[in-house]
Amino acid sequence: MSTRSAPPSPATVHDRQAPAPPVGAPGVRRRRAAHRPAPSPDAERRRRLRARLVVAGFAYLIVFLVVLPILWIVLLSFQQSDQILSDPFSVRTLTLENYRDAIATLPLVQMYKNTIIIATAAVTIGTTVSFMVSFALTRMVFRRRGVQSALLLYFLAGLAVPVYVLLFPVYRLDLALGIFGTYAAVILPYAVVSIPFNTLLLTGFLRGMPGELEEAAIIDGAGLFRLCWSVVVPVMRPILATVVIFNVVYVFNEFPFVSVLINDPDLATISLAVSKFQGQYSVNYGGMMAAATLVLLPQLAIYAVLQRHVIAGLTAGAVKG
Amino acid sequence: MIWLSSRSRIAVMVLPALVLFTAFFAYPVLYGTGYSLTDAQGFSEPRLIGLDNYATLGDDPFFWLSLKNTVIILVVSVAFLVPASFALALLMQQRIRAAGALRALLFGPAIVAPILVGLVWVFILDPRVGLLNRLLVPLGIPEIQWIGGDSLTPYSIALVFSWASIGFAMTIFYAGLQQLPGDVMEASSLDGATRWQQLLHVTVPMMRETVGIVSILLVTNVFKIFELVYMLTGGGPVHRSETLVSYMYFVTFTSQRYGSGMAIAVVVLVLGALTSLAYLVLARRGRSA
Amino acid sequence: MPGYQPRRHGRRGLAAAAALAVALPLAACSEAGDTGQDGTTTITLSMQNADVKTADPATWAIVEAFESANPDIDVEVSGQPVSEHLQSLSIAAQSDTLPDIFWVYKSNAEEMLAGDRLLDLRPILQEQGVIEHLPATTVEHFTSGDTVFGVPYQGLLTGLWTNTKVLEDHGLAMPSTFDELLQVAEELDDDGVVTISNGASQSAFSVWQFLVWLDRFGFEDRMDGLLDGSESWDNPDFVRMYEHIAELRDAGAFSSNVATQTYQQAVDQFLQGDAAFLDAGVWAAGAIQDSDVAPHAAFWKGPTFADGVGEQNIIMNVASAPLAVAKKVGEDDAKLAAVERFLGFYYSDEAQQLMVDNGQPPVTTYEPTLEESEQSVLSAALDAASEDGVAAPATQPDLVFPVAVANAIYDSIYGVIQDQLTPTEAAALVQRALEAE
Repeated sequence: MSTRSAPPSPATVHDRQAPAPPVGAPGVRRRRAAHRPAPSPDAERRRRLRARLVVAGFAYLIVFLVVLPILWIVLLSFQQSDQILSDPFSVRTLTLENYRDAIATLPLVQMYKNTIIIATAAVTIGTTVSFMVSFALTRMVFRRRGVQSALLLYFLAGLAVPVYVLLFPVYRLDLALGIFGTYAAVILPYAVVSIPFNTLLLTGFLRGMPGELEEAAIIDGAGLFRLCWSVVVPVMRPILATVVIFNVVYVFNEFPFVSVLINDPDLATISLAVSKFQGQYSVNYGGMMAAATLVLLPQLAIYAVLQRHVIAGLTAGAVKG
Repeated sequence: MIWLSSRSRIAVMVLPALVLFTAFFAYPVLYGTGYSLTDAQGFSEPRLIGLDNYATLGDDPFFWLSLKNTVIILVVSVAFLVPASFALALLMQQRIRAAGALRALLFGPAIVAPILVGLVWVFILDPRVGLLNRLLVPLGIPEIQWIGGDSLTPYSIALVFSWASIGFAMTIFYAGLQQLPGDVMEASSLDGATRWQQLLHVTVPMMRETVGIVSILLVTNVFKIFELVYMLTGGGPVHRSETLVSYMYFVTFTSQRYGSGMAIAVVVLVLGALTSLAYLVLARRGRSA
Repeated sequence: MPGYQPRRHGRRGLAAAAALAVALPLAACSEAGDTGQDGTTTITLSMQNADVKTADPATWAIVEAFESANPDIDVEVSGQPVSEHLQSLSIAAQSDTLPDIFWVYKSNAEEMLAGDRLLDLRPILQEQGVIEHLPATTVEHFTSGDTVFGVPYQGLLTGLWTNTKVLEDHGLAMPSTFDELLQVAEELDDDGVVTISNGASQSAFSVWQFLVWLDRFGFEDRMDGLLDGSESWDNPDFVRMYEHIAELRDAGAFSSNVATQTYQQAVDQFLQGDAAFLDAGVWAAGAIQDSDVAPHAAFWKGPTFADGVGEQNIIMNVASAPLAVAKKVGEDDAKLAAVERFLGFYYSDEAQQLMVDNGQPPVTTYEPTLEESEQSVLSAALDAASEDGVAAPATQPDLVFPVAVANAIYDSIYGVIQDQLTPTEAAALVQRALEAE
């Protein structure tokens, strides 16, 4: 399973964050020694130290490469516009001018407000209905099982549908419902588009979750709502957190729907505003990069705070799904 | 549980999602399919014309080109991303200082808006202003048309897609690795298996399901690539770098041929569904074997 | 009754979710409304630029002047890039939610008219005395039957902006025929200088000069046949036109990154003195005036062709795409009056002078005053348009076709420029689009 020198001990499998035992800890060495004729302990220790350094160096290099594009954008955002074309690597002539341009052009507060309103409503609706249907499809007893699995398939089939096929029809639907030109024009499609993925995660989690607690609650006389709210939801907190975070990220990043369904600049989300950068800044690359950074950094900062939940949630949901 | 499973309770739980999903998802798919059978375009009233739009697509070289590009991106992304993210997950399991932070950083690109990813990568791939050629040209390597040239654009889009997805895929693999039962792993190493043997014969087979999940997610995401093309090349030069979805957007909205555009959308839909289905079947067979 | 309680809760949860779903749109709805309580009337003007203020300063200036002269009318200007703009319009047309006044392609306006979505402007124009100030051909161009469905937004005067200093520095004379242009391109390419600056990225339509070439290869005579299907785009004359583009390309006339640079970057290239010609129109005059190129700027109608068809001494000086007014404006008297006043103002001498001040030729018969020292660039273009003996075609070729065909025309030209299509393939591409109509 790994190229690490020592075989994994149960402790490290369950807790990767635990501090690594010192290199060449006695227990580790002994186990190795039992299987292979050991070279001199000193040479072996050095060999392993070197291997570990190589592995770590490699990991840092990859991470650096992945982060590099973002660093590059941040560097450009401090560069004077004419420098970007002539000498972009120079750090002697950095300026805040681009940020002044960008802040003057961008309705940042409005963008964030719109996005947060839309995300809150869409994610609340999407998560609630997904949870309800997932619970029904995994826990409740249908008179006909076929209906149950057919319904699950029906929802999961949505995973394979590219949203682009929905754009035009949903627009017509929004109009027919009289919600075009309001936040709801995108809130409802966002909520619905999240149902397949949410259902995948939630049913996956529910299937792997032992039912004893629920049975105990039912024996105690709990009804459906109390069962869900006081017993199931608390246990599902991590996966629900994942669902919420994923859906929020989706709404923050979504472009095709919002570009068709929102035509009022006062209702524009962050993504929609970003798509206009190339038009607004045309050849003012510095301004464009500063605007991009102003959108990027808050998102990354929020992610930095919440990333543990995303990763923990994925562990529980996606893999078991 | 059977106590609470009355018809009405099931209805209460299922109906909200069912109604919303049917109204805003299933019905629009049918509606779009219906539109693909009409000559709807510009501002005039649509007329039913049967399968003509599909026949016209067959004669449209740009459609085949965009299909080819999509397949290239699909193959490159999956062939590269699945093993690479798996290897990365293995790497992240090593005892490395600040491994948690590294994993978080790797995942970072996955939360950046695709439209912003496209904008960022313009400044890396553009032949004239991009970082890549800025670094390569001084080394005596001639200017390479990463985007906008004849041939490289789909590969560059695959690269950008990989950049945005690798942390996500790695995280799922990593999570899968964490789930592996520790005793099996330990037993196999106590049996004297080398690390390679252990990887090939124990880890990989046990991870098969995760590989399936990652692949499905990546494949369906490839069929959704649009913003990257939109920002990087706008599909150019002359539609050489369109993907199915970006070409559909062009036909539908830029050229206002709604009927033809919906026909492409239906093709995308069918391809996406077939690929996902194939993976599901494979995954199920793998599980039961 | 243990089973009863939770069911109510479940319903309550549902009800709450439903209430939320209903309440949100309502909350967002309440901000709409046309006539404010203070008696101001709002009219919407929707344009084909993401940022009207900077990209279309002439329109912006006219709106500003109109609003300060009419404090009781509020003109709400919005804009998106051309393709998004048309997309919004087409969606809006089908749902009868069109903006009050909007920029639109002529072919689309005709389709909207057929769908009874457009207001007949004849009464308004007569009432405001505008019609006699517009050239008769322009009015005719935007008339269908008896209905005037559009008014000219701006004049479309296109050509090759020339940086004479680049030519002089390389010891070259101003070309006049295609063969001379080809020679210039070869010489400039040897010195590593771009001859004609173009940019295809997100601006596939920026091929104005080559649309004139179509007219120099007999487009006018074939136009009706092309529209009714009796003529083919794939004809020897047009193929010859594409072959000339290929010759220029092979001579190294175009920028190496013509595919990835945007139109804006192409303009920038010219303004930096890195190109001898810029394929653009009169709208670029302001930017050129503000640059170092201004003292050396000239305006050229483009090369003549020894193997061309028909009149060669022509310049593209036509009415551009129109402004149209939504039919439902006529149902609201306050709105109708406001729109009428706006259009009346738009074609007034004051507004036409504002256009000129912002680098646009007037669209009426108004004789503008030009500050020769400050508007040398614009007046170079206007002079070229009124040169003795020069003729103007009826319209720009792309403007008479549906958008899909227009796009194919652009693609065919950029396809040859970027060496993606052979001349015959290029002609066939457009023909295929014509047949799909």
